[in-house]
Amino acid sequence: MPHDIIIIGAGHNGLITASYLAKAGLKPLVLERRGTAGGACVTEEFHPGFRASTLAQTTGPLSPQVIRDLSLKSHGLEFIKPAVRVFAPLLESRSICIYEDAKRTADELTNVSAQDAKTYPEFVSTFARIGRALAPLLTMTPPDIEKLARAELWGLGKLGLAIRGLGKKDEYRLLRYGPMAIADLAAEWFETEPLRAIVAACGIFGAFAGPWSAGTSAALLLQAATDENAIAPTTFIKGGMGALSQTLVKIATRNGAEIRTNAEVASVSVRDGKATGVVLTSGEEISGRAVISNADPRTTLLKLVDPAEFDPSFLNKIRNYRAIGTVAKVHLALAELPHFPALANGDSDEKLSGRIHIGPDIDYLERAFDAAKYGDMSPQPYLDITIPSLTDQALAPAGAHVMSIHAQFAPYHLKDGDWNTRREALGDIVVKTLSDYAPNLNEYIVARKVITPLDLEETYGLSGGHIHHGEMSVDQLFAFRPLIGWARYRTPIEGLYLCGAGTHPGGGVTGTPGANASREIIKDLKRRA
Amino acid sequence: MNRKYDVIVIGGGHNGLVNAAYLARAGKRVLVLERRHVLGGAAVTEEVFPGFKFSVCSYVVSLLRPEIIRELDLPRHGLEILPLDGTFTPMPNGDHLWRVNDHAKTRREIARHSKLDAEAYDEYGKAMIDMAHFVKPVMNMTPPDPASLNPKGLMDLLTMGRRFQKLSADDKYNQVQLMTMSAVDFLDQWFETDVLKATMSASGIIGTFLGVRSPGTAYVLLHHYMGEIDGAFRSWGLSRGGTGSISNAIGDAAREFGAEIRTEAPIAKIILKHGRARGVVLENGDEIHADIISSSVDPRLTFMKMVGAEHLPTDFVDDIKRYKFRGSSGKVNLALDALPDFKCMPGAGPHLRGAVSISPSVEYMERAYDDAKYGRYSRRPYIDIVIPSLTDPSIAPPGKHVMSCFVQYAPYNLKEGTWDDKREEFGDTVIDTIAEHAPNMKDIILHRQVLTPLDLEREFGLSEGNIFQGELTLEQLFFLRPAPGWAQYRSPIRNLYMCGSATHPGGGIMGASGRNAAMEILKDKK
Repeated sequence: MPHDIIIIGAGHNGLITASYLAKAGLKPLVLERRGTAGGACVTEEFHPGFRASTLAQTTGPLSPQVIRDLSLKSHGLEFIKPAVRVFAPLLESRSICIYEDAKRTADELTNVSAQDAKTYPEFVSTFARIGRALAPLLTMTPPDIEKLARAELWGLGKLGLAIRGLGKKDEYRLLRYGPMAIADLAAEWFETEPLRAIVAACGIFGAFAGPWSAGTSAALLLQAATDENAIAPTTFIKGGMGALSQTLVKIATRNGAEIRTNAEVASVSVRDGKATGVVLTSGEEISGRAVISNADPRTTLLKLVDPAEFDPSFLNKIRNYRAIGTVAKVHLALAELPHFPALANGDSDEKLSGRIHIGPDIDYLERAFDAAKYGDMSPQPYLDITIPSLTDQALAPAGAHVMSIHAQFAPYHLKDGDWNTRREALGDIVVKTLSDYAPNLNEYIVARKVITPLDLEETYGLSGGHIHHGEMSVDQLFAFRPLIGWARYRTPIEGLYLCGAGTHPGGGVTGTPGANASREIIKDLKRRA
Repeated sequence: MNRKYDVIVIGGGHNGLVNAAYLARAGKRVLVLERRHVLGGAAVTEEVFPGFKFSVCSYVVSLLRPEIIRELDLPRHGLEILPLDGTFTPMPNGDHLWRVNDHAKTRREIARHSKLDAEAYDEYGKAMIDMAHFVKPVMNMTPPDPASLNPKGLMDLLTMGRRFQKLSADDKYNQVQLMTMSAVDFLDQWFETDVLKATMSASGIIGTFLGVRSPGTAYVLLHHYMGEIDGAFRSWGLSRGGTGSISNAIGDAAREFGAEIRTEAPIAKIILKHGRARGVVLENGDEIHADIISSSVDPRLTFMKMVGAEHLPTDFVDDIKRYKFRGSSGKVNLALDALPDFKCMPGAGPHLRGAVSISPSVEYMERAYDDAKYGRYSRRPYIDIVIPSLTDPSIAPPGKHVMSCFVQYAPYNLKEGTWDDKREEFGDTVIDTIAEHAPNMKDIILHRQVLTPLDLEREFGLSEGNIFQGELTLEQLFFLRPAPGWAQYRSPIRNLYMCGSATHPGGGIMGASGRNAAMEILKDKK
């Protein structure tokens, strides 16, 4: 039996969808533009002997359900979870460190603020409680607002009860936090500015927003639902994020899916409002009874499909779907581990093994965002850094290290110049900013790779260079992602589906959009078969 | 020994007076106590300089509920709303944007800037009116408490859900966006003319500590269309004799229903007996007793000052401490010898009879906000100017004029210095900003009154100078205003009610808070 279901894009969500479909006895064919599968989850050698997770640095974390359903671990996938979540070096040789262990974190916080040390465990348990109550939301297909099916009412009812179960105090928190600015939320909990900044960073990661932007707290709630902790964990994958993609390729193919690389889809073929297949840039036509796109909504619906297939109002809405990237990446090949004066000698290896946060206070983060509003890169960007080679030596030559830097804000639209001419200037700003905290950094840099928002679009196919396939703002979440009325992985074109981060529950390497989408697709295809 | 009342209303602002009027109308013996020598609170007219009468704080009317005008028969008590026609936005490049109530004219004017936008403007108007129809009933509604199992509340929520479900697909889409997006993001979808977006988005930030690009600012765009659909008067209006005459009209109505109103009667404490409000103590020591206390002042004053945290549940105290005021605006009132002469449209034309908006570009608006974020007043602020004496000559000497400038941003908390040192410097910045568009400005000023957020707090009892008695941000609206679980005009203290702008539906000379609160009080105390 030929492969009759086409999946556009071999990103982690595309591969997860392929795996679920194949396990269900369907025959998916995954078409990947690039030479390697993985999309934003790839491990690439950017300098001889130095390999980095090019885009995504850590998992979101990956949904336990996906890990179970696809038995990822028994297929050799290894997670690396350092004891440190976030380490924030400050100037004048102070620092703050958030560990997996709340108690250990609290104990260390006593050095900066007795008050915050006292509050931190409550902060953790509160968001764990709220997160657990919200978790079912992630794996649920957003309800059809027009006509709620009984099953959906049941699901929502269960969710409602779970939230009621939290008790009034948490319920009210939930109601208030949703639309709130993360800066206000952080200030409600903590008095130490750097700690506030660490919390605030979770609200603006990958977003076109600053800590003072209303609605940024929603990201924190979403993170809590994913991880039961508002402050995201650092979960690496042995061999880099590419290893996840390779494992998924193995699982998909083993179950009968086929994955073709260097196969770029030029357009989706539509007849009488039904998707009938795709045409590759090579001109090759491939027919299928369903086409599933892991590409972002703008690429899928505005680039790959003939606009004449949509009614104007839908077209207008999808054109207004916001996906303006603000993130750049810088990878450094380092001869040795740079020294952070904020660290006492000895505990470097552990403290640097998680994520390193650069952005000492709320105003610093907000100022970084201000630049983006006016179409310029931040003179002092917010940095989220990992040194995966500390816990996965194989990524770099012995003694040497790989440093991957997520830098904000680097707006996709520049007021002056373009990203091709300003790429190195961006790299310099990032290195200079980090050098304030690691003075000898420059001496150790063997090689540097800078990835601008434009590269994210051109090389990795993220329209607008948006790492989440579209802004994760309240108006583009859950039943509104990507559009109200079209949040159920289906599109106005029968047989054309979305399965990427542009669908609920959105970006981050969780695999949940792919898992949810495949559930809906299998329902449809089995019904039609 | 003093006569006993059923209800004491704290504060003679428009909401307190509306509240008193409805309670008196229902046969209650009501006493209104006002701290200042004049009625009106922030809706007040004062002769600040001889011959010049100013609407000192609030200066335009848009949302005064038509049912209140009707039920209290306010026109008979002297309420007269004069149209404030249009908004004129001067631009540094010598051009301008001038929108008026005459739709065809406005369309032509916008077409001058962009044909596409002229088309979109009609569509936009239609869409907004649909939205306004959807939101309107919510104004007069007592917010349900989603966390309670009270069937009435759940029913109300369900009904709202059903009404939303019934909206057309496009209306649903717009409604969601209006409630969540930033004014600029929302307008970007409709229009391309920067100055148009800048001027329209301005209404989204008034009285908040947000910028035109901050999510949650879009829904205020609706307010302009509320006035329209009510049909009471077009979107904006002036009250003859200044906004104080609105308060006076309501006050007269209240008195006619038998309410008693005392000015210069500042309250020190609310008397509690066995956890119930029993009366008030004036600052002069007098005690006045009543079964019910209805406070129109903000929650910080009501609960932290007049009740005292020690008498309240800690969770509630935390909520009130958390309740955000952070005033962001100031007011400059000018007595003028002549009219300002705008470079881009010289002469005393009809463009001066409407509002003059200093909002030349979206970036200008956003940069004004950036200054405030870091604790200083805007170097180049957004200014909403009105010259009411052109429409209502009674408020200024012949040939002279009164000019009201609403200024944002002026953050209550300054990073450097105090408002007492910066007051005049701030006033100069405002005049300089206007002078860039109207060069004769500095020569025509006879007197000037500068009100900083600190002055609004001291003079008018608005905590942190917030003109709406608390920020109108999503987390402080509807069932969250002023605190989750306490959005139904009641408080943890029995017989103590809230009826001011710090309750749903919030600020603006609307009166809905006072009216809704009265309904709840009457429900409890038939």
